[in-house]
Amino acid sequence: MSKLGIFDVAVRYGKVPALSDVSFTVEEGERLFISGPNGAGKSSLLKAICGAAPTSHGRIEVDGDVLNGRSPEAIARLGLTMVPEGREIFGTLTVEENLRVGTGIRRDKAAIETDIEGVYESFPILGERRHANAGALSGGQQQMLAIGRGLMTNPKLMLVDEPSLGLAPNIVDQVYETLVNLQDDRGLTLIIVEQSSARAARVGGRMVLLRGGTVVGDGDAAKFAESDLLKEAYFGQDQSEEAT
Amino acid sequence: MNAIPQLLFDALSLGGIYAMAALGIALIFGVMKLVNFAHGEYIAFCVFALIVPSTDAVAVMFLGKAPAILLIPMLLLIGAVVAVASEFFVFRHVRNATPVAMMISSFALGFVIQNTLLLIYSSRPKAVSLWPELNQPVSIIGASIPLLQIIVIFTTLLVVVTLALLLKRTRIGLEMRAAAENFTMARLLGVRANVVITGAFALSGALAAAVALIMVTQTGVADIRMGGQIMLVAFIATVIGGLGSLPGAVAAGFLIGAASVILQGFLPLEARPFRDAFLYTLVIVSLLLRPDGLFAPRSTKPRV
Repeated sequence: MSKLGIFDVAVRYGKVPALSDVSFTVEEGERLFISGPNGAGKSSLLKAICGAAPTSHGRIEVDGDVLNGRSPEAIARLGLTMVPEGREIFGTLTVEENLRVGTGIRRDKAAIETDIEGVYESFPILGERRHANAGALSGGQQQMLAIGRGLMTNPKLMLVDEPSLGLAPNIVDQVYETLVNLQDDRGLTLIIVEQSSARAARVGGRMVLLRGGTVVGDGDAAKFAESDLLKEAYFGQDQSEEAT
Repeated sequence: MNAIPQLLFDALSLGGIYAMAALGIALIFGVMKLVNFAHGEYIAFCVFALIVPSTDAVAVMFLGKAPAILLIPMLLLIGAVVAVASEFFVFRHVRNATPVAMMISSFALGFVIQNTLLLIYSSRPKAVSLWPELNQPVSIIGASIPLLQIIVIFTTLLVVVTLALLLKRTRIGLEMRAAAENFTMARLLGVRANVVITGAFALSGALAAAVALIMVTQTGVADIRMGGQIMLVAFIATVIGGLGSLPGAVAAGFLIGAASVILQGFLPLEARPFRDAFLYTLVIVSLLLRPDGLFAPRSTKPRV
């Protein structure tokens, strides 16, 4: 089971509040989009969950384990993995080395090799270039590698920050297809930050809408796409919706 | 007549010492962006660990009496322990501070170590005779080379190859390379920050011990200030090599060693006392031309 609970969470950078009074829960196997305009606190929320940003208030729990105050490496051991904004792959390491970085936390050493082959099956291009420096991959391939690298930690819950950032639309389609397939195969819980609510609606799932660091909407992504709530959240920031 | 091979061996052995010291600094900078100015004091500490604590001018061997097969691993261990302890008691507490604050704490730690040595051993340099037979010359391709120089060159090669294998082939090596490139991302993937940083300090301290052994055998002197000069050169080597680049640190260490020996050999006699001024002019020129270092790590900006 991997139920994520976020209770009254606040994050601040110095005196600047990034998130306040954020509460929601995510059920096991659910697909949740976090959407909202620039500066709404989407990335801050993800960072707070995975331990990369400290919370100033509130509680984050996975299956009853409180995450606040734990180090990122301790949180990774609880089965959470992060596919960060901008991919953050290790450019000087080879593709295969990138996949192995996250396997240090696993007890089932025997399964690691089969899982690496599994990643290569899902992403054949990574298999072809397994000994190449990851920095030489294209943006789309790096996104695949970042997802594969996260999978190698054998997670229950995967956080994906802006997977479509800087990628061509057809590549974004592929990325989402992969994510949905992975979820179906492994029963992963997925939390995806996606600025384009239209994209979220097309992929389907639940959506939490953030604005100004607080939750302003929570419901089915497809219904949101037509509602006024979304326009309110973006509040005239039409350029944020250019992807629609 | 045999000046060229002589120069070559001089350059390689001096460069080897610089390269090992530079590696010790680059390793720690790589994982925690700390320029550890206490590194020179680790070297001095290891030298003084060889002799009996006293303020006499002639040193009595303490650990230095042990046979080499015991002495070498023990001193490497002492170096590693000192470095790991300094991380545990000092640097761990400033890990989230700015790089400047970390650097200043390393100066402070350096002064503490140096003054502790001063208190126990006094400031007088001491004559230390460790393995004097290694300074006997041997004949190689027409040049007369102290055996020690050859040992230094081989030791450097051994250290570089071992370190490369460790980084390339072991789990901790993989984690160290990942952490050096992107520490936060490595931690998000479950890499333990403390393990990686402690590992880097242990390696760095062992390298300091190796440099200490070579220096004391070569010079026959234990001086509490002996870490300062080599630390300066090693730091310059890491900067020229591109901060954070291990191959860069090694290459730049050899480069500075070679430049130093060549200047010493070819400068006009009256200019030789100013050798270091020429050397550092070259350093400045190199930094003006390549501010990121000669061997700066390839840009790891995300591709779009």
